[in-house]
Amino acid sequence: MVSHSSSTPPTPEPESRLRVPQRNPKPVAIQVYRPASEMRQPLKLMRRMGADLLASRELAWQLMKRDISAQYRESFLGVAWAIIPPIIASAGFAFAASADVINVGVTDIPYPAYVLLSTALWQTFSESVMLPMQKVGSARMMLAKIQFPREALILAAMGQVLFNFAFKLLLVTGMFLWFRLAVPPTIVLAPVALLHMVLFGTVLGMFLAPLSALYQDFQKGMQLLLGTWLFLTPVVFPPPSSDGLFGLLVRFNPVTPLLVTTRELMAVGTISDPQGFWLVSGLTFVGLLVAWLVYRLAMPYAIERFSS
Amino acid sequence: MTLVAENTKSMTAPKDSDVVLSVQGVSKKFCRDFKSALFYGVQDISSEVLGLRGDHNDTLRKKEFWALQDVGFELHRGEALGLVGKNGSGKSTLLRIIAGLIKPDVGTVTVKGRVAPLIALGAGFNPVLTGRENIYANMSILGLSREEIDDRFDDVVAFAEIPDAIDSPVRSYSSGMQARLGFACAIHTEPEILLVDEVLAVGDMRFRAKCNRKLHHLREKGLSFVLVSHNAQSIFNLCETCVYLSKGELIISGDTEEVVKKYEEDLYSTELVSHEGDFSIPQKPVGESLGVDITRLYFKDLSGNPCESPKTGELAIFCVEYKANISVKNAGLVLVIKEVAGEGDILLILSSFNDKIPLDIKIGRHELQVHMPHLGLTPGSYIMQVFIRKDSIFTYDYIESFIFKINSEIAMGRSLFHQSRTWKQIDI
Repeated sequence: MVSHSSSTPPTPEPESRLRVPQRNPKPVAIQVYRPASEMRQPLKLMRRMGADLLASRELAWQLMKRDISAQYRESFLGVAWAIIPPIIASAGFAFAASADVINVGVTDIPYPAYVLLSTALWQTFSESVMLPMQKVGSARMMLAKIQFPREALILAAMGQVLFNFAFKLLLVTGMFLWFRLAVPPTIVLAPVALLHMVLFGTVLGMFLAPLSALYQDFQKGMQLLLGTWLFLTPVVFPPPSSDGLFGLLVRFNPVTPLLVTTRELMAVGTISDPQGFWLVSGLTFVGLLVAWLVYRLAMPYAIERFSS
Repeated sequence: MTLVAENTKSMTAPKDSDVVLSVQGVSKKFCRDFKSALFYGVQDISSEVLGLRGDHNDTLRKKEFWALQDVGFELHRGEALGLVGKNGSGKSTLLRIIAGLIKPDVGTVTVKGRVAPLIALGAGFNPVLTGRENIYANMSILGLSREEIDDRFDDVVAFAEIPDAIDSPVRSYSSGMQARLGFACAIHTEPEILLVDEVLAVGDMRFRAKCNRKLHHLREKGLSFVLVSHNAQSIFNLCETCVYLSKGELIISGDTEEVVKKYEEDLYSTELVSHEGDFSIPQKPVGESLGVDITRLYFKDLSGNPCESPKTGELAIFCVEYKANISVKNAGLVLVIKEVAGEGDILLILSSFNDKIPLDIKIGRHELQVHMPHLGLTPGSYIMQVFIRKDSIFTYDYIESFIFKINSEIAMGRSLFHQSRTWKQIDI
C-alpha cells in the first residue's frame, strides 16, 4: 500500500473492507488464438462449442430478462403487444371470410379460432427467424468489445420467442373456451412440434445473423420474404387439396408440415402429414449444427468488418 | 507519481513462468474499401468454414494493407504494459486480437486467465433499465455467474458511488455516473488481465484518481494489464514497460521512459518543422501570398538573444518575422498553444484582438513580438499555431505547427502551470 501514500490521503474504499467471500478459484484457462481455421481441429472445436453452450445458459437468461423487461418497459400497452397482432389479423380475416370477400375452404375448427391459432404460430415462426438477426445486430457494440459465448444471443432470442408465444397462448385458450372447443390429448406433444418449428426459424436466423450485422439488406430482405411466405403457408386458409402450382408450392414449403402438425396436435388430435413433419425436423437438426458452426466461425470476421 | 513508478518497479521481478500474455509475431490485414471488404469477408468466412485457412496468411490482396505487422511482446503477472501510438497505429486492433474478438492473420496470442476489456465500459448497458438490472446484465456478459454477481453487487455500487440511483433507469444517469458504473462492473470481475483503452480519460479528476488507486491495488494482488493511450503521461504513471506502435509496426519496446522518448521524438519529426524552437519559412510562390507572409518564428530571451527553448518563469519574447507588400491597419496576431503529447486540448490562446491591442503591418520586413514576462508554461514540448489576421477573421498567413520546448530551472513538482510569486514575512 506504499503507492497511495505519495499522492493522496487514503480514503476508505470497498477493497479495504473485503466483503467478497472466497469461492473455490476456477482453474486458470489457457487460450491460444491462432490464424488457422478451427475446422482443422474438429474435436477441439466440438468440445469448445459444447463448453460455450453450457457457459452461455446463464448469460442467455440474463440477456433474455434484460430484453424482455426493456421491450415492454417504455410502452403503455406493455406485454399486450405480444397478442395484439394476432387479434387484429384474425379479426380482419374472420370478417373478410364472413362477408365472403375471401373464400377459404372448410377448416377443422371454427374459422376465427383457426386463424387466431395459426397466426400465433406463424408469428412465432417469423419471430424465431428475425430475433437472432436483431439480437446480433443490436449487440454489435458488445460483440466488438467483449469476448462472451456468442451462443448466448441465440439462446436469448429463442427464449424470448417462447416467452412471447406463452402470452399468445393465453389468447388462444380464451378463444377455445369461447367456442367451447375440446382440447385433444395430443396437446401434450404439441410443444415438441412447436420447438421444431422455432428451431427451423432459428436455423435461418442464425445463418444470416453474422452477415445481417454487417449489412441491413439481409434483415430487410428477410422481412419482405416473410410477408410473401405467409401466403404460401396454410395460415389463413386450410391446406389446399389440389395439385395446382399453388398447392405444390404450399406442400413443398418446409414450414407447412411444422406449422400444420403443431396446430393439429393442439386442436384436432390427428396428424395429416407425419412423414413431412419428420423430414423437415431431420433437416432442421442437421441445419442447426451447420448454422451453429457457420455462426461461430463467421463471427470474428464479421466483427473485424464492423468494428474497424 | 514518479515515486509510485519506482515502488511498483521493485515489486515485479518478472519470471518466465509468470507470463500471462504472450504475443508472437502477430500480423493482421485490413481493407478500407467497402466492396472489397465485403468480398474478402465472404472469402475468409468460407475458407474458415471449409478449413482451408492456415497459419500463414501473409499475402496481401488488392487494396489491403497491414494493420499490424509482426508484433510481439510478453506480459508477466502483476506487470503493466503501456501501448502507445498515434490514432490508427493498430493499438485497438492488437487489443481486439488479445481479447479474442478477431483472429490474427499470422502469429499466435496465448492468454492465461480471464481477460476483462475496459474497452467496453458499459457496453451492453440498456438505458431503459435500472442500474441494478444493468449491473447483472453487464457483469454476466463479462463472464460472471449470478452467485458471483450477488457477492460483488454491494462493492460495485459502493465503488460507483451511486447507492441512491441504483433503482433508477440508467438513462437518467449523468455521463460520469455511467462511466463510473461501467468501470466498477469491469473492475469487479476480478480478471487476470485487464485491457484498458483510453478509458481513464472519462469521469472527473477525483474519480480518475480513485480508478488509478484501484488499479495499483489490483496490481499488488497480481493483476496484469495493458494500457492503451496516445497520451504518454497516463502511461508514465502506471506502466514500467511500454510498446510503441506506428502504422502497425512495433517500433520499440522496453523501458517506458525510453519508449515514450522515442514516441515523442517521432511526433515532432512527422511535423513539417526541422528547426525546433527557431523556424524559418521559405518564400511563398507569388500566387499563394495574400500580401503578408510569415518568414521566421523564434524566441528571444532576457538579454535579447535568440533562444531555442525559453525557460519557465522567465521573460520570453516570441517573435514573428514577416514580409509584407501591403500595409494593414488594425491587424493582429493570434497564438494557439497545445501540448505535443496531449489530448488535443488547447492550453493557451494569446490574441492581440482579445487584448484590444491593434498592431500595424508595414511594408517590408518587420517583426511582431509578444512579451511574456513570467512564462507560465511548464517544462515540456508544445505545438503552436500562429495566425496574422485582420479583424480577427481574415487570415493573411498562418503556420500550422511551430514546435518548441520549454526548460526550467525551478522545481515544478506536479504543477500544471507556473505562478510567478514572491514570499514575504510581515510583522504586525
